[in-house]
Amino acid sequence: MPILIRMSDVLLRLTGVSVRHEVYDESGAPSHGEPRPRDVSAELRAGEVVLLLGPSGCGKSTLTLTANGLIPQVIGARMDGTVTVGGRDTVTTPVPALARDVAMVFQDPDAQIVTASVLDEVCFGPENLLLPAAEVLDRAEEALRRVGLWERRDDDPDRLSGGGRQRLAIACALALRTSVLVLDEPTANLDPAGVEEVYRTLREIAAGRDRAVLLVEHNLDAAIDFVDRVIVLDAGGRVTLDGPARRILTDHVDELVELGVWLPVATLAALRLRAAGIRLDPLPLTPSELAAGLDTLPELPAPTVPTAVPIAVETSVRVRGMTVHRGRRAILHDITLSIGAGEFVAVAGANGAGKTTLAQAIAGVVGVPRGTVEVTGSSGFVFQNPEHQFLTNRVDDELAYGMKVLRRPQAEIDARVEDLLDRLGLRELRAVHPFLLSGGQKRRLSVGTALVTRPAVLVLDEPTFGQDRERATELLDLLDALHADGTTIVVVSHDMHLIAEYATRLLVLADGRVIADGTPADVYADAAVLAAAGLRPPPIARAARALTRHPGWRRLTRLADLPVLETAR
Amino acid sequence: MSDSIRSLRSYNPVVKTLAPVPAMIVVALSRDLWTPAVIGTIALLLLLIGGGLRGRTLLWVVAGPPLLVALLTVSFGIWTDPALVDETTALLTIGPFTLWSGALHTGLATGLRVAAVLLLGLIVGLTTDGPDLVRSMIAHLRVPYRIGYAGFAAMRFVPRFQRDLEIIRLAHRVRGVSGGRGPVTTLRRYGGYAVPLLAGAMRHGDRVSLAMEARGFGADRTRTERRQVPLRSRDAVLAALLIALCFVPHLPGALG
Repeated sequence: MPILIRMSDVLLRLTGVSVRHEVYDESGAPSHGEPRPRDVSAELRAGEVVLLLGPSGCGKSTLTLTANGLIPQVIGARMDGTVTVGGRDTVTTPVPALARDVAMVFQDPDAQIVTASVLDEVCFGPENLLLPAAEVLDRAEEALRRVGLWERRDDDPDRLSGGGRQRLAIACALALRTSVLVLDEPTANLDPAGVEEVYRTLREIAAGRDRAVLLVEHNLDAAIDFVDRVIVLDAGGRVTLDGPARRILTDHVDELVELGVWLPVATLAALRLRAAGIRLDPLPLTPSELAAGLDTLPELPAPTVPTAVPIAVETSVRVRGMTVHRGRRAILHDITLSIGAGEFVAVAGANGAGKTTLAQAIAGVVGVPRGTVEVTGSSGFVFQNPEHQFLTNRVDDELAYGMKVLRRPQAEIDARVEDLLDRLGLRELRAVHPFLLSGGQKRRLSVGTALVTRPAVLVLDEPTFGQDRERATELLDLLDALHADGTTIVVVSHDMHLIAEYATRLLVLADGRVIADGTPADVYADAAVLAAAGLRPPPIARAARALTRHPGWRRLTRLADLPVLETAR
Repeated sequence: MSDSIRSLRSYNPVVKTLAPVPAMIVVALSRDLWTPAVIGTIALLLLLIGGGLRGRTLLWVVAGPPLLVALLTVSFGIWTDPALVDETTALLTIGPFTLWSGALHTGLATGLRVAAVLLLGLIVGLTTDGPDLVRSMIAHLRVPYRIGYAGFAAMRFVPRFQRDLEIIRLAHRVRGVSGGRGPVTTLRRYGGYAVPLLAGAMRHGDRVSLAMEARGFGADRTRTERRQVPLRSRDAVLAALLIALCFVPHLPGALG
């Protein structure tokens, strides 16, 4: 059957697009780097939801910024090729004028808010386009109703949750009534409840089929069920695959793994099972598909029994009856717990539950009532934003700083610094200013600054926040190695999947109280606790729960529980 | 928002900002007690009648100026150079210290001047929303809207900076930056906060401006203003009244 494509259907057209960012050499002279993305051609049509995939650093976000002319008009980068939106060229049409055709939602909800009320915020875009006041209000009401924020129109945006603020950003984009909507990692800064909220909204919008949506997202588990088409860039920024989402993800799964593209957890599980000789066909993309696939098999081998966590002999952290106030409000109420040496403890809970305060109290960052916290040995704390901790002008000085404060002999300092440079993969960068490192390198360096004094307890606040999967996994592997060496690790995190894979114990906080404390598997089995804390079980646990056969598999929570062949890697 | 003619909130923000300025200048240049006392009292009455003040704000507006005047009177009385006032009456002598009536007079006048200027400033300060002032500046003073809205965005930066600074301070303390006192140590410590604070601020500012342009900011020479801040005859009356305060110094002469 011949397929008829009318030219007018193409809303966003990229032709041979390459972008070279400005880079600075050691003397500070600017030049243009390697093109990322490189020579991308693609067309987006009305009603399509297109997911852009690729290993980190391949230029996905950069490509989204070309869609409304921010590159090359506002951001100093060189662009070759052409981008047209609704027939208008993005190089010659000013960015604000393109707002009639393209709307953008960025990663950080806070950096998109201009005004002091939810309603004013949504009106801001249409007002810029000089629409009559009555139409501005009409559009604002429609957009706010679609994202479920109409009732909160008089509130200050700061009073919304992270998910609420990102839904507000989506409403602002909708109010522009554009034919193209571009979203760059819209959930990377959100807690699980926020991710859920945003995708519920996006799913409804996509169902309208009235616009083209271009999405960059590393959380494939949330996004995959409403994406129609996938464009995959390789590490060099070229388009290597472009086609229907399901077909690309299932037929080319090995290529995607090879490229380092993150896949839905259900798909990763199926790949792991395939290595163990259990074939699932078709390859599942969601937890429910994984469950359905497993249920078609008459028999499954027993899951890997998790290696028993060695019972800690010594107590590393002891908290007794600790209540912490900020101003008049109690942030933590009467917390009592002890953490054994060598545990890997995750602290989870909704925003404002007191997670960060508990972590800071354990590490001695904030003052607590005398005698309520005892730590055996020293402790180190890693803040959420690595830049906040940097003090010197070179990577190696940064690592040495903690030892210099303790006035240790120079030889010992040098030995530790050299060791860490290798361990963190920062040797080549030792003379670089910490602020000039990439996001992942900054994060590793900030962990290194805490490690140099060899603390017995390492506490980290949201170490994977705003990072892609690769960076997150890289960091967690580093922590896992420390844990294996006997360091006690305490991590505040929203990421249920990472917690399931790495932590030996999970503390759930709600309103300043510990409402659950146990192995991640036990906690994930308690639906009431998860609901109270605004958490969701990780994808594997959701799939396991949905099984109708194989009772032995229903308590699985992590990839590592899946059976592997002895010979498999 | 009340639209009653008795409420200062219903008056134009630009008028409330600019009309008190001549009176402020007159007060600041005055040397007598009468001028600041009368103008200050009128400003206070305006605030009490039309300000719709409540609770703690009301308490401060009523009690603050007398406290300020008393404080300045006493401290000037004690600290004024006796050489300047030793021709006036000596009210009190304790040991080597003499309290001169001239010193008290200077203190009282200064206190009244400061209080009066403050009260005139509060007319706009306590009865206006920042966004309305910006809207009115764009509509009535022809301030380019880009500048006005940059002001909006900047206002939202402030709490963010405070939060960031607090975290950076904790983060540096954790790294072992000494908490020493002395001015040099403190200065150096704050220098250390500046780099991460500015780096974060610049990045945030960049992102906000990208987001604003992506939403059509600057597409045209003007933009729709949903809320028209009115400029009415009542504003002319208020302006006339406030400007008329400039004649207060001449009143005693006129009255004989």
